[in-house]
Amino acid sequence: MKLFKDLYQYRELLKTNVQKEIRGKYKGAWLGILWSFLNPLLMLMVYSLVFPYIMRVQIPNYTMFLMTALMPWNFFTQTVANSSFAVISAGNILKKVYFPREILPISIVLSNVVNFLITFIIIIVFLLFSGVGISWTILLFPLVLIVQTLLMFGIAFILSAITVYARDVEHIVNVVVMALFYGTPIVYTLDMLPAKFQTILYLNPMTSIIDAYRDVLFYQRIPNLTHLGLVATVSVVIMIFGLWLFRKLQKNFVEEL
Amino acid sequence: MKTKEKELAIVVKDVYKDFKLFYDKANTLKEKLLFWNRNDNDVLHILKGINLEIEKGKMVALIGTNGSGKSTLLKLMTKIIYPNKGEITVNGKLASLLELGAGFHPDFSGRENIYFNASIFGMTKKEIDKRVDDIIEFAELEQFIDNPIRTYSSGMYMRLAFSVAINVDADILLIDEILAVGDQHFQEKCHAKMKELKKEGKTLVFVSHSMPTVNEFCDEAVWLQDGKIRMIGKTKEVTDKYLEACR
Repeated sequence: MKLFKDLYQYRELLKTNVQKEIRGKYKGAWLGILWSFLNPLLMLMVYSLVFPYIMRVQIPNYTMFLMTALMPWNFFTQTVANSSFAVISAGNILKKVYFPREILPISIVLSNVVNFLITFIIIIVFLLFSGVGISWTILLFPLVLIVQTLLMFGIAFILSAITVYARDVEHIVNVVVMALFYGTPIVYTLDMLPAKFQTILYLNPMTSIIDAYRDVLFYQRIPNLTHLGLVATVSVVIMIFGLWLFRKLQKNFVEEL
Repeated sequence: MKTKEKELAIVVKDVYKDFKLFYDKANTLKEKLLFWNRNDNDVLHILKGINLEIEKGKMVALIGTNGSGKSTLLKLMTKIIYPNKGEITVNGKLASLLELGAGFHPDFSGRENIYFNASIFGMTKKEIDKRVDDIIEFAELEQFIDNPIRTYSSGMYMRLAFSVAINVDADILLIDEILAVGDQHFQEKCHAKMKELKKEGKTLVFVSHSMPTVNEFCDEAVWLQDGKIRMIGKTKEVTDKYLEACR
């Protein structure tokens, strides 16, 4: 509860921090903030050439099939990558002033949510122009987004805090994220796998989340609510654990930096 | 008993603080795994059992030689670092001016930086809007406020940072040796501002090596030596003893 009170009091700092995150990343680049969206779109282009034509994945409307999963995945990887640096890069300020340290990972997550919401508009445009269209199930999109955001908060708290103590986390995370890309049904569907592997894949919370996005946007049906509810519970647990860990570790941030 | 509790702004209870001295800091996992048993850090005991009560509305000076733990004590009070043992309770909104210009960004204008800096102190946009003119006026930077601050002279930079800090609406202010900012004219202005804050009933804790300043402003002085409190009392008595000891 104290966190909410703190966040409310420091809302101006949170706001400027989120703005800086969104704008600051592409400072000095000619196309500026456009890169936030060009990057995933170019990635989409590469993948939608590689998988159907080289790997011979047979799925109708593959580009849209891919896009509805790749963009949320991008939200995941960006947040993970940014949050390892959240505390370290603020080292100088941490040494000088007190403010609720939780603001750092929180603004990373929020800025990525904003980015993702803009990407979501692009997805809608693509859906309309590709002939897939949209249906009422798109109203369930916020629900899926909330579940993923909860998960991202948890991961951001954990990563930003432990990276201060061991900088290697960043490199380990890179590899794990790359492996997870193939361990999540993004470029393929779950039923392409033997049943045994499908169960294993459901241990990855992103599997159910990506499934849900795809159901809501691409297949336009109600997602598996049991799976989604389960992942929501797991995400809340991870978030609470993350916050607890962050609070414990933050006491020595200044001395470790 | 309860009313007495309320009048205290800061209570420091039996606080100990150690710093590890790293010679070669193991920062990566590999080093941590390889050298897990290499106990290559000496522990430096900075504060050894500090007990201190600061009443609301008082101006208290922390004096002592370099390395006696004054700044560490201030940092503990603001919660930048945490004690190894003991407890610190703060009643009221606290702002610390340990270093000026935290969060200043050279490419942004003075006005934008006022907003950045003040938001770090926990002010909201509305509160800053109300005070921004006072801040600019106090810093005497009306002409330059919309220029990027990398074009500022060091004096202008410090003046801006100080005016933001002193206009933060806090009940308790912690100030670390930064009053020696600017020229004679600006210093006098700062001193006047401090007297004003005192009249408003703010609590001030400040570290200084300038005994005349301490004598002029403070009700009480705390003399720290080697991480312990050597003496607490009326400012004049403490500073006299301190100066005697320094000779």
